[in-house]
Amino acid sequence: MIPPGAGHSRYTFADMAIRHDRKISILDVMGPVMVGPSSSHTAGTARLGRVAHEILDDDPLSVHFYLHPPLAATYRGHGSDFALVGGSIGLNVDDPRIPEAIRIAEQAGVEIEFSEEDQGDVHPNTVRIEIESASREVEIVGSSIGGGVIEVFKINGFQTRFKGDSPTLLLFYRDRPGMISDVSGIIAQEGINIASLYCSRKQRGKDAFMQVDVDSPPSSAAIGRICALPDMAEARFLDRIP
Amino acid sequence: MIESFKHLEQLAAGRDVADVFLETDEQEHAVPAEMILEALRKRREVMRDCVERGKNGGESMGKLVGNEARLLNEAWQSGRTFLDPLTIKAELYALAVMGENSRMGVIVAAPTAGAGGVVPGMLLALEEERKIDPEKTVRAMVVAGGVGSIIALTASISGAAGGCQNEIGVASSMGAAGVAYMMDGNVRQMIHAAAIALKNTLGLVCDPVGGLVEVPCVKRNALFAVHGLTAAQLALAGVESAIPMDEVVEAMVRIGRSLPRGLRETAEGGLATTDTGNAIALRLKAEANQRRADRAAERERLAQERKAQR
Ligand code: SF4
Repeated sequence: MIPPGAGHSRYTFADMAIRHDRKISILDVMGPVMVGPSSSHTAGTARLGRVAHEILDDDPLSVHFYLHPPLAATYRGHGSDFALVGGSIGLNVDDPRIPEAIRIAEQAGVEIEFSEEDQGDVHPNTVRIEIESASREVEIVGSSIGGGVIEVFKINGFQTRFKGDSPTLLLFYRDRPGMISDVSGIIAQEGINIASLYCSRKQRGKDAFMQVDVDSPPSSAAIGRICALPDMAEARFLDRIP
Repeated sequence: MIESFKHLEQLAAGRDVADVFLETDEQEHAVPAEMILEALRKRREVMRDCVERGKNGGESMGKLVGNEARLLNEAWQSGRTFLDPLTIKAELYALAVMGENSRMGVIVAAPTAGAGGVVPGMLLALEEERKIDPEKTVRAMVVAGGVGSIIALTASISGAAGGCQNEIGVASSMGAAGVAYMMDGNVRQMIHAAAIALKNTLGLVCDPVGGLVEVPCVKRNALFAVHGLTAAQLALAGVESAIPMDEVVEAMVRIGRSLPRGLRETAEGGLATTDTGNAIALRLKAEANQRRADRAAERERLAQERKAQR
């Protein structure tokens, strides 16, 4: 559970008028190709579900969506329920099966639940997703900020700023000096450029999290070496979220 | 990074604007120019398919719209229209795309799904009417997308953030720049086309009936496709916006902030809360509850079946 209001301060509603740290690409503006009717309620929400699915990296058994009140008021009319579920079972935003997603998920035995939950001072279209497989559990909080663009600002309780617009490494580890340089060293050996790096931790010397956005996917050998670093609990590689 | 429209004008003086956008995007997002073009070629095809499918109309999810494209097309085919073919096509194509959108069909969000009819309406109609090479349309999509990405540096592209000016206004502005590109305008004319279009959508509120992207969205796309064409026409004739584009965008952000919440996609104001709007919202709610009950029953049935199997 996220303590109410914790860590949301950087993402206030008024902030949306402040310059973004990274320019939205041409393909983001002239796209995505998607199932209608609303890019923020269908495409963006499908991508949020997809992020949860990709981090889980397993067949989900249950997905629970906690919708921020403004989204809870509008989601059904826009088909966000189909989209969220579609994404969380791995469908792309342009998959014509999205309108059928809930039925597909239920037939596959995935338990689905929607409820309303205030996420604090955040974008109106914000959702917290809890997704579970037989062996794993993932929680994300993110917003669909328009035009299919998303911002995930919490992963498994760690603050982050994940947009799904570049290949990304998500690393969960025990906080220790030198971890960042170990990771960036392995990536540099691959000749890959790091576009941005974001770290957060729950407490010094305790659980920590690193998000590394890279310009191109690292080899599986490199990911293996990162996984094998001392104190690394888990490394997940996510390609661009379509 | 292209910081502003002023910066764009300096960077692109005497150059092909599409190349300037492709180069900066390539640097910034590590996607090769050819891949961007290839993706946009496919998206143009999706737009074309969408127009073809959508021309025949069909019922929308909320059943508030559906036959607009078909009616206009029939009137046109039987010689009952009075506007020129470019204008009619722009309207027709925008309606067709939005019809598909309202049926959960596959569309291209440009920049959003709710405003997704404007750019294809303008660019595809112009391409056909002026017999322009489709590759040039693709490059005009680069220009339109580039314009949108500069706007998105300061403004959030969503009706929830600033009203419909941020969606259909921005689409019309992007499309106007794209049209100026297709008609061989220079960078200054493209920027002024965008400015004239955007300036004259300021204050446009987002008040969708029942919260659905149907009323007023579908017809609004058709009207603002034509709006963008006329803005491009003025700019190509040498008319300039007295207020520079960067300042128009700033004005849009300020106006968006001062819009009451009820006029920012919440369906709690404007057209959404007229007598008819309220009645429709009630009907939609009842239908949604029914669907939910049906789904629960279906879930129950499936669970029973699984139990029986075991
Ligand atoms: S009225 Fe609102 S929902 Fe409709 S197109 Fe405009 S911004 Fe989108």
